[in-house]
Amino acid sequence: MRKYIEFARVQMQVHAAYSAWFWANTFSILLRMLVIYFFWKAVYSSRTEIEGLPFEGMITYIIIAMFLQMFVSGVGQELAHTIKDGNVAIELMRPYNLITRLVAMDLGDKVIHFVRGALPLSILAFIFMDITLPSTWQSGLLFLFSAFMGIWIGTFFDLLIAILAFWTINLWGLQVMKEAVISFFSGALVPLILFPEWFQTISLFLPFQAMVYVPVAIYTGILTGTEAWLALGSQIFWVVSLFVLLRILWSIAIKKVTIFGG
Amino acid sequence: MIVVKNLEKHYKIAKRDPGLRGAIKSLFHRKFETKKAVKKINMHIKAGEMVGYIGANGAGKSTTIKMLTGILTPTSGEVKVNGIIPYENRQQNASHIGAVFGQRTQLFWDIPVRESYELLKHIYEIPQAQYEETLKEFVDVLHLEPLLGIPVRQLSLGQKMRCELAAAFLHRPKVVYLDEPTIGLDVAVKVRIRAFIKQMNARYGTTVLLTTHDMQDIEEICQRIIIIDDGSVIYDGSIQDIKSQFGDKRVIHFELEDAADSFVLPETISEVTEVLPRSDEDPHLVSLSFSNKNISGAEVIHTMMNHYSVADLTIADAKIETIVEEIYGRGMKKEVQHEEIH
Amino acid sequence: MLSRYTKLYYLFCKQNLKVMLEYRMDFLLGVLSVMLQQFAGIFFVKIVFDHIHALNGWTFYEILFIYGIAATGRSIHHIFFDNLWTLGWQYIRPGKFDRLLIRPINPLFHFIADRLQQDGFGQLFIGIIVIGTAMPHLGISWGILEFFILVVMIIASGFIFVAINLFFATLSFWMVDSLPIVWTIFNLSDFARYPLTIYHKGIRHFLTWIVPYGFTAFYPAAYFIKGSGFERLALLTPVVAIFSCIIAYWFWNRGLKAFTSTGS
Ligand SMILES: Nc1ncnc2c1ncn2[C@@H]1O[C@H](COP(=O)(O)OP(=O)(O)O)[C@@H](O)[C@H]1O
Ligand SMILES: [Mg+2]
Repeated sequence: MRKYIEFARVQMQVHAAYSAWFWANTFSILLRMLVIYFFWKAVYSSRTEIEGLPFEGMITYIIIAMFLQMFVSGVGQELAHTIKDGNVAIELMRPYNLITRLVAMDLGDKVIHFVRGALPLSILAFIFMDITLPSTWQSGLLFLFSAFMGIWIGTFFDLLIAILAFWTINLWGLQVMKEAVISFFSGALVPLILFPEWFQTISLFLPFQAMVYVPVAIYTGILTGTEAWLALGSQIFWVVSLFVLLRILWSIAIKKVTIFGG
Repeated sequence: MIVVKNLEKHYKIAKRDPGLRGAIKSLFHRKFETKKAVKKINMHIKAGEMVGYIGANGAGKSTTIKMLTGILTPTSGEVKVNGIIPYENRQQNASHIGAVFGQRTQLFWDIPVRESYELLKHIYEIPQAQYEETLKEFVDVLHLEPLLGIPVRQLSLGQKMRCELAAAFLHRPKVVYLDEPTIGLDVAVKVRIRAFIKQMNARYGTTVLLTTHDMQDIEEICQRIIIIDDGSVIYDGSIQDIKSQFGDKRVIHFELEDAADSFVLPETISEVTEVLPRSDEDPHLVSLSFSNKNISGAEVIHTMMNHYSVADLTIADAKIETIVEEIYGRGMKKEVQHEEIH
Repeated sequence: MLSRYTKLYYLFCKQNLKVMLEYRMDFLLGVLSVMLQQFAGIFFVKIVFDHIHALNGWTFYEILFIYGIAATGRSIHHIFFDNLWTLGWQYIRPGKFDRLLIRPINPLFHFIADRLQQDGFGQLFIGIIVIGTAMPHLGISWGILEFFILVVMIIASGFIFVAINLFFATLSFWMVDSLPIVWTIFNLSDFARYPLTIYHKGIRHFLTWIVPYGFTAFYPAAYFIKGSGFERLALLTPVVAIFSCIIAYWFWNRGLKAFTSTGS
């Protein structure tokens, strides 16, 4: 355990060192927030509500979803590159579990991202962009728990996709594809209630809505009461199943390395 | 062919205090350290000459070659290659030079070697007939046939270097710069490469400037060597000359029974011999350098045996290697000078 | 001279295509994923327009048209000039840039021709489909002239993308890798997907006269949209493209000079 904590800590320091990327990220997020703000302002210029959501509710949903989406990916890229350049064989000989190590590093990443990036930026958003607080303190608490689950689902899913690098070469394509699918189905771009019925039904059976939509919908009061508890249940289901799937796929992949030499 | 006058290159290295404070401070007030990599060097290389350019790591060899190829602009001084100032007319210069830089590939990474050559044919506008003839010749001498269909990234180091070399000579350049072309290669490949370079020079009169740490390369290929140390040329002359000039130099390596930490020269020979800098790898090794005009080798060995228990010894004769070893040894003792400018 | 470079470019392309075909699965995956990514953006607009009729006076098809021009223009950059992203970390830092400097051809040409990015074709397909879908709904009749102008506008849009990326990639000559800056500036092009009229005036002027992403999609599209009020400004698009390219190339040469004198 100790060594994994150490990995997380080192990762935080690594991040602190790359200040150029930090500023690039911060600035890009600010730009995105501006685009979002003006776009929705224009959408609401001739109406007061869409599907029961007023402007404040909508912008709150979109901004919180945007922040949450930044946390639902993981160290997949890292893993995929390790696989691709053949270093995975070396990594497997080291005295730690590669996946656990990567997840620990990812955690370090996320903490530092949250503290240095998401937190100050969301405070800015609260002050300047009509973002509202959760309707009740219960839904606030529930949101925290649900967001936590959503982040794990995203992390596991990311690693699952990365393992596919054992069988393909175009990592960049894989990454883009994954991101496109997530923005589609997770409700990161717009609340799922705006989608057509059939689309909502499909996404109900996919893990993506559990990454972003569920937590943010709880925050903004789109999901309340029994609905919210049911959604939380589905999140727990996804965390467990993705974890098991990850284990299985990883052991198959390792066999491929040890038997066929990668 | 190559004329260099008072050539200098100073690198500016930005200094930064560590941490965030240092980063912020450096925004407003940058400190630079100047590194004089090449200091007022002069050389004159005639067409068709093959010159060995040698010196310890960091002596300034690559920096010089970069200026000769036009990749780097000198701080001051003059360079003319074939009447052209390389850094001012880089593209014009490029069409009659070839170069190999150590382990960095000049070829196209993902495509088969043959296709790389095809592209180079067009880039250098080589006439088809000449291209075919040259390629055939190279394939024979360097044994490239089995490699032509393989992408560069899949070649071993030795295979890659053979292909590199062919690429550098493909357009029959007037001058070829070879910066450590034999580094990391096995003896068989080295022999092949040397033969190839000599053949190119004999057939096309190609001027060659070669840097290497392998003195065998130099002895076999070059008629002349230029030695650079800490940015200055300290020797320029034929191998023959250096041998007769330093021909009386001898070095004897003594392997002592005990660690040589407390070694002091026996008094009787301390006037006429010198201890070369010790290597960290072998704590038992002591190397003595002397001129056999002043003292005979037998006497040195005798004296040493009287004072220390010697396990083994080797006598290095006046090979170029010995001489260079001696010259480097002295150079390393000099202190590297830095100047600080704000 | 020109014909020599055309020939060389053709040969470089041929090699790149061969490599691409060697990895057919990757080619398909790349194209498909970019198409999916573009499609996500369009789908978003569609969802929003299911609930509204117009965005600040712009109809769904008009927005689609802007989007299509942006995607097509960007695909020119993505397919042919994608190597610009790699100047710092793949060329300068590992010392690979030196290779380009000892060849008797223009180093920028060599650098650009070194890579053809297959994935950009996905963007091109989607862009063309989107433009094709939106065209009949804009209320103008499409003749030869209109088509010609459209093609010119798209090419100009592509070259504005190129010029902006080239300009900021050039910073790598001084700072080893300017990728974070290039990336941030590139993100500004997100603004260009929607009509500039929805933004604050300051943003609009910035995207028109400082970093001219406005000319990569909105202005050229506005030329074909009746009563948009930007028809005159739209005609400047090719001029802006040429001008940006000249500035970027001039800056590149400055950078090259700095690089050959510091050598790092
Ligand atoms: N781009 C650079 N920036 C700063 N210093 C450099 C640079 N390139 C080389 N140097 C320094 O200049 C000196 C000479 O280097 P180089 O010409 O590479 O030596 P050699 O090829 O003989 O080993 C070294 O001290 C090296 O550290
Ligand atoms: Mg060197």
